[in-house]
Amino acid sequence: MLPEALLPGSIHGNVLLPHFLEEHDHPWLRVLLEEYARFVGRRQRELDERLREPLPCASPAAKRRIAIHVLARHWGGRRAATIHPRRARAMVFVEAARSQEEPAAVVASVAAALGVTATELTDALFADLPGERLIAAPPEVLSPGELALRTNLAIAQGLLFRSTAVLIDMEGNARAVVRHAKLRGLICAVVSREGERRAALEISGPYALFRRTLVYGRALSEILPLLAWCHRFRLQADCAVRGQQLILRLASGDPIFPGKAPRLYDSKLEERFARDFRRVASDWDVVREPEAVPAGDTLIFPDFALRHRGDGRRWLVEIVGFWTRDYVERKLALLQVAGLSNLVLCIDESRNCADAALPSSSRIILFRRRLDATAVLRLIEREPQVPG
Amino acid sequence: MPLARLPSVRLLFDRGTILLRDLDPGLDRAAIPGVLWDPRVRSYRTPAYRHQYLRRELTRRAVPFSDEVRVPQPPSGSWSPIELRPYQEAALWAWELAQRRAIVVLPTGSGKTRLALAAMARAGSSALCLVPTRILLAQWLHHIGRIYAGPVGCYGDGSHELAALTVATFESAYRHMDRLGNRFDLLVVDEAHHFGCGLRDEALEMSVAAARRGLTATPPRDTAVAERLVELVGPTAYELTIGDLAGSFLSGFDIITLHLDLTAAERQAYEGWMTTFRSVHAQFRRVAPVASWEDFARAAARTVEGRRALEAFRRARRLTAFTEAKCEMLRVLLHRHRHARVLVFTADNESAYAVAREHLVMPFTCDIGRKEREEALARFREGTLRALVSARVLNEGIDVPDADVAIIVGGALGQREHVQRVGRLLRPREGKRALVYELVSRRTSEVRLARRRRAGLAPRGVAAG
Repeated sequence: MLPEALLPGSIHGNVLLPHFLEEHDHPWLRVLLEEYARFVGRRQRELDERLREPLPCASPAAKRRIAIHVLARHWGGRRAATIHPRRARAMVFVEAARSQEEPAAVVASVAAALGVTATELTDALFADLPGERLIAAPPEVLSPGELALRTNLAIAQGLLFRSTAVLIDMEGNARAVVRHAKLRGLICAVVSREGERRAALEISGPYALFRRTLVYGRALSEILPLLAWCHRFRLQADCAVRGQQLILRLASGDPIFPGKAPRLYDSKLEERFARDFRRVASDWDVVREPEAVPAGDTLIFPDFALRHRGDGRRWLVEIVGFWTRDYVERKLALLQVAGLSNLVLCIDESRNCADAALPSSSRIILFRRRLDATAVLRLIEREPQVPG
Repeated sequence: MPLARLPSVRLLFDRGTILLRDLDPGLDRAAIPGVLWDPRVRSYRTPAYRHQYLRRELTRRAVPFSDEVRVPQPPSGSWSPIELRPYQEAALWAWELAQRRAIVVLPTGSGKTRLALAAMARAGSSALCLVPTRILLAQWLHHIGRIYAGPVGCYGDGSHELAALTVATFESAYRHMDRLGNRFDLLVVDEAHHFGCGLRDEALEMSVAAARRGLTATPPRDTAVAERLVELVGPTAYELTIGDLAGSFLSGFDIITLHLDLTAAERQAYEGWMTTFRSVHAQFRRVAPVASWEDFARAAARTVEGRRALEAFRRARRLTAFTEAKCEMLRVLLHRHRHARVLVFTADNESAYAVAREHLVMPFTCDIGRKEREEALARFREGTLRALVSARVLNEGIDVPDADVAIIVGGALGQREHVQRVGRLLRPREGKRALVYELVSRRTSEVRLARRRRAGLAPRGVAAG
């Protein structure tokens, strides 16, 4: 975990504003990357010693140390020794305890027995310690821009590590976030907020009820990379930083997600439907995995949200995998409880796990292997939109 | 015939807390302190460590409840008899008298682990032992295995095995107590002084164990921390120091402090760094006379001069940690005691490796793997290694085979560390008198540190309660 004093940010009222690395940081990041490259083949402790000194160009101290932290994890090290350090230690120290000779003579005699030079033996003695490992270049060398993004992610996660609860308003990938939260023993509650159309997910741990606890900090900080998959999100976290309770806000567009855009679709079926639908319904936006919807005590995760760009009509689409009549009936009842009249269930006829027929509903579309985008469009154009 | 009144409240364990399901709306919940409404799950909730208290309160109010909190797992194995020394027997009684919820303060080497095992055997219930490090984890597993015939679980160092008797590192307990918290009736907290200051306290709060036993050689002297420990583990029921046992159940010892000079070059460098440091530190002291070192470090990290001052201080400390004079004196002492078993303590790992290179003494640090450390201890025991050098790892808890001489080249952590280090030598043996050398650089901040750390070795007497 990054030390708190390193995390760059400023406090405005009760809001913590993280200071992310930007384009004007790229020159010193490039110099830092060059320093690393210069030390390839040399010992880690030599590089550590060098990095304690300022860089040849101006660089903010805290941000530089976080970038170094990120690089240290990215760059590898290798052991340089002619004989295994553990073997060297076992032989040298035992011989030193037995012998009456001076240390240099002890090393010389052990080296002779091993068939190496005294220098090789001395070098091998601690070659496996973290500081003694030789710097090795990683398979993929980062660009300054990529390093900036990774450093920013480390800053954002470092702050979230000190959070007690987060509130996330998101479109897309909600399922993965809820799954993660549940696996890590967090409680996901759906909260509706005044003036906001969409409900938000409030994620916190059971113990957070009694006092602000950082016991869930790690699990909360691990949510952040999952949000890279979202269509858009806003996150608000309660953080305990610099002895104060502060609010941290992050949102899509913040420069915190390195790497390529993640794969958007779980299956070919979904990918094909999204493509087909965009082609036949040019007035509609397609959002993959929109927000979770509360239904009684559980959450429903629609696969798509379809939004009309002109009048704002909005439909949710859920594609059902294997099913039984009983399952579909329960699902319909659940939708009714939740007042979800704008959800279309798409059911693959060939995946009926029992012989009973489907219950009838105007909100069901049947398909075989390929979901017909025109049929979905027809249904949502025909059915009246119930507000809510 | 009137129907028996059905239980109206169900108590359930939920990830380190207790949920009160179906609580009668007529009950005045506000009157049970610590029970809060959780709107996220629409139920009442209380921290797990208040389980007993909650049961008592519900009973007192005649609220019927069904308690589904605990998962009983009685130990299946049997204990061999454990022989105790008189003071250990007394400490065990003190714990019993404190309703099996207390801390016992005994010096290093006086058999705290043995005492804990006796308590576990006597309780005969499921027990979770919390230990600070992975090395101690292995040691506890070894000790339990010797006198308990049955499965022993382990959480930490890559293992996640659950049994009626389980040993866990603090870190693992902190991470997994939400799942383990309702499975144990007894919590044994080794080196209990690590708790109470807010760091990882949740590990103790998320357990329902009614019986708790803390062990330490160095109880916290800070009032707030001590009070918190009373709440989380229990009060101190029995306390003895090295001074109380040295010469009887612990070996007697002498401390020889050797004051050594810096070379001219070292002195110049030292004064240069300290001047840089002092100017910033004095300025901070004027503004915040009662602030702690941590406050200073935090404030200093935010400015260029502050960071320079901290770096200068670090370099000055590193210089005094292993000076040329210390190096030479160490050579003389190692030669003088070449037939004894010697432990060398340094302020940091870098100095430990410097000693290892310079004098060919086996280092015992966190960077050395577990197997190799075990081998080193075995060699030290049988005498094929005569000396070990360590910064922190040997400080706490580890059973070091009977050593006679300690050479303290440098220290960083004050009184507590010193008591623990000296304790390493005091395993009694017929005719033994242990010897502790302290190497202190003259006219440096070490002089004050050395004076302060010695205060922890005085006798304190018995405080039964």
